[in-house]
Amino acid sequence: MSMLIAQDREAEALQRGTRRFLLFGLLAVLAVIAAILVRQGLFRQTATLGFVADSAQDISKGQAVRIAGFRVGSVAAVTLRADGKVEVNLEIDADHMRFVTRDAVVELRKEALIGAATLEIVPGADRSKLAADQARLSFSRGESLTAMAGQLREQIAPILQDVKTITGTLADAQQGLPATLRQVRETTGALHTLLDTGNRQVAGVGTAATRVLGKAEEDLVQVGRTLETANSRLPALLDRTQGIVDHVEKISADAETSVPPVLRDGGAVASDVREIVAGAKSAWPIRNLVEAPAPVRLKADSDPHAESVHVAR
Amino acid sequence: MSRAEFSRRGKSPRALALFAALLLAACGSAPKPSEPPLRKQALEAESDGARRYARGDYAGAARSFGAAGRLQQSLDDSLAAARNSLHQARAELAQGQAAAALERAQRIGDVEFALEALLLQAQANLALGRPAATQQALAAAATACTADCPQRASLNLLQARAALAERRAPEALGHAEAALKLLQGQDEAAETGNAWRLIAAARLAGGDAAGALPAADAALGIDRQLALPEKIARDWLLIGEIRRKVGAGDTAIAYRRALEVANAAGLAEIAGLAAQALKKINNPKETTR
Repeated sequence: MSMLIAQDREAEALQRGTRRFLLFGLLAVLAVIAAILVRQGLFRQTATLGFVADSAQDISKGQAVRIAGFRVGSVAAVTLRADGKVEVNLEIDADHMRFVTRDAVVELRKEALIGAATLEIVPGADRSKLAADQARLSFSRGESLTAMAGQLREQIAPILQDVKTITGTLADAQQGLPATLRQVRETTGALHTLLDTGNRQVAGVGTAATRVLGKAEEDLVQVGRTLETANSRLPALLDRTQGIVDHVEKISADAETSVPPVLRDGGAVASDVREIVAGAKSAWPIRNLVEAPAPVRLKADSDPHAESVHVAR
Repeated sequence: MSRAEFSRRGKSPRALALFAALLLAACGSAPKPSEPPLRKQALEAESDGARRYARGDYAGAARSFGAAGRLQQSLDDSLAAARNSLHQARAELAQGQAAAALERAQRIGDVEFALEALLLQAQANLALGRPAATQQALAAAATACTADCPQRASLNLLQARAALAERRAPEALGHAEAALKLLQGQDEAAETGNAWRLIAAARLAGGDAAGALPAADAALGIDRQLALPEKIARDWLLIGEIRRKVGAGDTAIAYRRALEVANAAGLAEIAGLAAQALKKINNPKETTR
């Protein structure tokens, strides 16, 4: 009998516990639903803005809308109009409408290089005239990576063409650098011969002064002829050199205007990539996974080129 | 199971307490110490240099070690800077810039790396063909290297190379065999291959061509495992030379293998030597004229 009473008490306690557990679960579910509703903005006041775009590329419903990088709303609807244009409606927190001016522009931007596209409302210069609910704003697209690459290619192609032309001119066997060098070498050879002859004449000055003087006169005549030859060839050589220098100057001037923007763009792209990688490496929890490597010890190799074989042979 | 039974077994409260204790311990434990960013950058550059060195990109390795050394020097860590300087000198020596490697090794003043710097100087002097300077560096290294110093085998190998360069084959053989004994059971495959090659070369120079062949084969086996084309090609040249001395009929095969390996690896000098040797055995009359 007493055993039956004890079992009844245990069953009653178990039922009480189950009821409490179910009640707690119900409350938790209600709290989660309430949180979701708050998060979805059910109790939030919103304003609607709109703009017209040529294409819906990179624009989608639910896409984030930001002001100065802060998310302030989302794309509520994207519809195709009868005239082929795209009508986009934005839903913005009413609190943030104080930042949206009438002349504000909606820009489609990419987060870094490979990130998702977001719409950024860029307020206009006149902060005194704020946009009202249902206001229509203007729209612009940021430059894509493909457009930047195309611009880079267009700027580099003429430079490469100029460099090719110069290289061809310089390598030309008849008019280029080889011919110039050949002429210089010939002139140098003639002068060298002349100097050798002069040296030999000076060595024998004590014994045959008169003969040497006569010879020196001949040599001077030869010098005169050599100089005349050099004189006749130098202007053409200088003209060609001047032409090359002018060409190089022209290319340098062109490059001065076209290369810096290209380098700036390239530098910006590289900097962005470096920042993304560095940011990822320094962000938790990745930074805990990337440890500094230990100091290395190279394996010993007293004969990296197997030179002992050469000695043995 | 009743609640009384559940609580009697004590699963729920104890498990919860244990979980909470673990959570507290994890949150309260000291954060893992991490290197400052610049030191981490220097260590990463050093590690990058080692990777490049291992795959034969010696120019890239020298650049990385140089950058790591400069960073460590800027952090006033002279020991790490000296270590990187030593690595850089080794990379320069491996890419054939013996003079630059010698100059860098001579500038390493840290006591901890003094012996390795001396060995590197001897190696660079050997490459530059300066026997007197080589002997001087080796003598200083021998004084600095006590009986059980880890670089004893490398020292013996360099002494063997120096002796072989001066045509002292028995002395070279003695040093190389001593080095091989020290290298047994150690993870120094490159040095073991060098020891076998030196034994083969010393035996060949000493007139024991038959004894040289197995040693050269052993060196070739190791160099194949390590995938070192230059050493493989030179091993085949050595094997060809030994077979020629022995009078074996497959001499041409060895030279041809040396030629093929050298051509595939773009080693013009060794390819030239192999082609010359092949020509010599194919037209003996023409070459002896």
